Amino acid sequence: MIGVAILLGITAFALMVIEYAGGRNFITQPIMVGFIVGLVMGDLKTGIIVGATLELAFLGATSIGAVIPPDAMTGSLLGVAFVINAGASAESALVLALPIASLALIFKNFYYGYIASLFQRKADRHAEEGNYKGIERVHWMTGLGMAAMLGILVMISYAAGSNAMSAVLNAIPGFVQTGLNVAIGLLPAIGFSMLARTMLSKSNVHIFLCGFALVAYSKLPILGVAIFGVVLAMILVQAEKEKTTVMAGGDDDDF
Amino acid sequence: MMTSKLTKKDLNQSIARSCGCSFSWGYEKQGNMAYAYAMIPILKKLYTTKEKMAEALKRHLAFYNVTNQCMTFNLGISAAMEEEASENEEFDTSAINQTKVALMGPISGIGDAFFWGTFKIIATAVGTTFALQGNILGPILFFLIYNIPAFAIRIGLMNAGYKFGTAFLSSAENNQTMSRILKGATILGLFVVGGMCASLVNLNIVFQVSDGANTQTISDLLNSIMPCLTSLLVFALTYFGIVVKKMKPLTMIILMTLISIVGAFFGILG
Repeated sequence: MIGVAILLGITAFALMVIEYAGGRNFITQPIMVGFIVGLVMGDLKTGIIVGATLELAFLGATSIGAVIPPDAMTGSLLGVAFVINAGASAESALVLALPIASLALIFKNFYYGYIASLFQRKADRHAEEGNYKGIERVHWMTGLGMAAMLGILVMISYAAGSNAMSAVLNAIPGFVQTGLNVAIGLLPAIGFSMLARTMLSKSNVHIFLCGFALVAYSKLPILGVAIFGVVLAMILVQAEKEKTTVMAGGDDDDF
Repeated sequence: MMTSKLTKKDLNQSIARSCGCSFSWGYEKQGNMAYAYAMIPILKKLYTTKEKMAEALKRHLAFYNVTNQCMTFNLGISAAMEEEASENEEFDTSAINQTKVALMGPISGIGDAFFWGTFKIIATAVGTTFALQGNILGPILFFLIYNIPAFAIRIGLMNAGYKFGTAFLSSAENNQTMSRILKGATILGLFVVGGMCASLVNLNIVFQVSDGANTQTISDLLNSIMPCLTSLLVFALTYFGIVVKKMKPLTMIILMTLISIVGAFFGILG
């Protein structure tokens, strides 16, 4: 039991690294996870079938807006492992997978929101000193830390069993979970503020507001925003060009 | 005119490193560290002094997010611009980041539609059909159908971005044209950031107010004045804190979390 738990933990770690350092190649999708856990636990056929079942189940749970869905990787890894271990049906994998997927999501959000921000500060300091090796190191540490966290979570979860995980999930007070979700909606404002610091000024704040209002009222997707943005930029630049041309006496050979 | 300092090898190294696009991701600045990481082979070649390197690293650590496989298009353009900046003292380096910001929205819009909306759906449809019968071809086909075009596009976009950037810079030598383009890029960038603020910054004030007949939440009330008004207020306060009051980002993060949890405890936020 402990041996399998360690093996699954290492598998989770490896899958995270291959996925996220390897160009988001979807090796952590349930269909792939089922296949690999099947290989690891010596029941390839069950692994593939349960993986495909979970793939379709999680398909409906893809991100809506900025909300990240329950973590399909940890969920399906343990779901498949429990099914192979207990000889349960493919459908029951989802019931076993969901509490762990939800718990993993809370951990992931915490990592993305806070641990990653701590690493961010380190990276800023290295940049200040022109130390590119330091940034390379921090980049790897951030990613490996996330993989290690999920690996350990998978290991403990398998050793403790699915019921124990549900109990842990229920023990976290509701308001803390809600509060963390609220915070996730606020954090991007920090990144945007840092970005706007170099661009925003009194003379162009209306352009920012224009983009904001467009999305607020129309919920236009980002590509649509970009198209309107290009048009607006062209109009404004063109207008300025005509103004300077008239003032300079019409000598213009740029285009 | 430019003599190319960057070689095919430097660009290839950057392509390989672009695979870490989501590796060091975080909510605050998202893919910024991965972007800097992928630019390092290029920066190492172009800048030899610590000061120049520090400036360049700081530029590339600004907020950044894009569809993973499409990052190389931005990297290619940044590489061409950094190359120009390293040779031409008068080159306005703020243009490098502004171009990046202006392009990340459109690139992600197209990229997400392709990768999440098209390739992934096709790969899943084919893969699960086989896999549900326990056929090993299922996961294998899923992986190949998605990744072969994904990696081909990743590699192609680096070369396209670099060529586009170099060709563009050599035709825009004229100072006036360059400053107009820069102005256009700033307008586009600000416009897109404004739009992203409305879609990515969220705050729901669930505290209810009642005028006797109707009960509604404060967010509903504010949204009836203008949708996403709370997002705008959150941005304005954050901007005030970080830019005007020069608060540290980490302090801001802790403050936001405390407010969120306390707000949730009293049932005001949710």
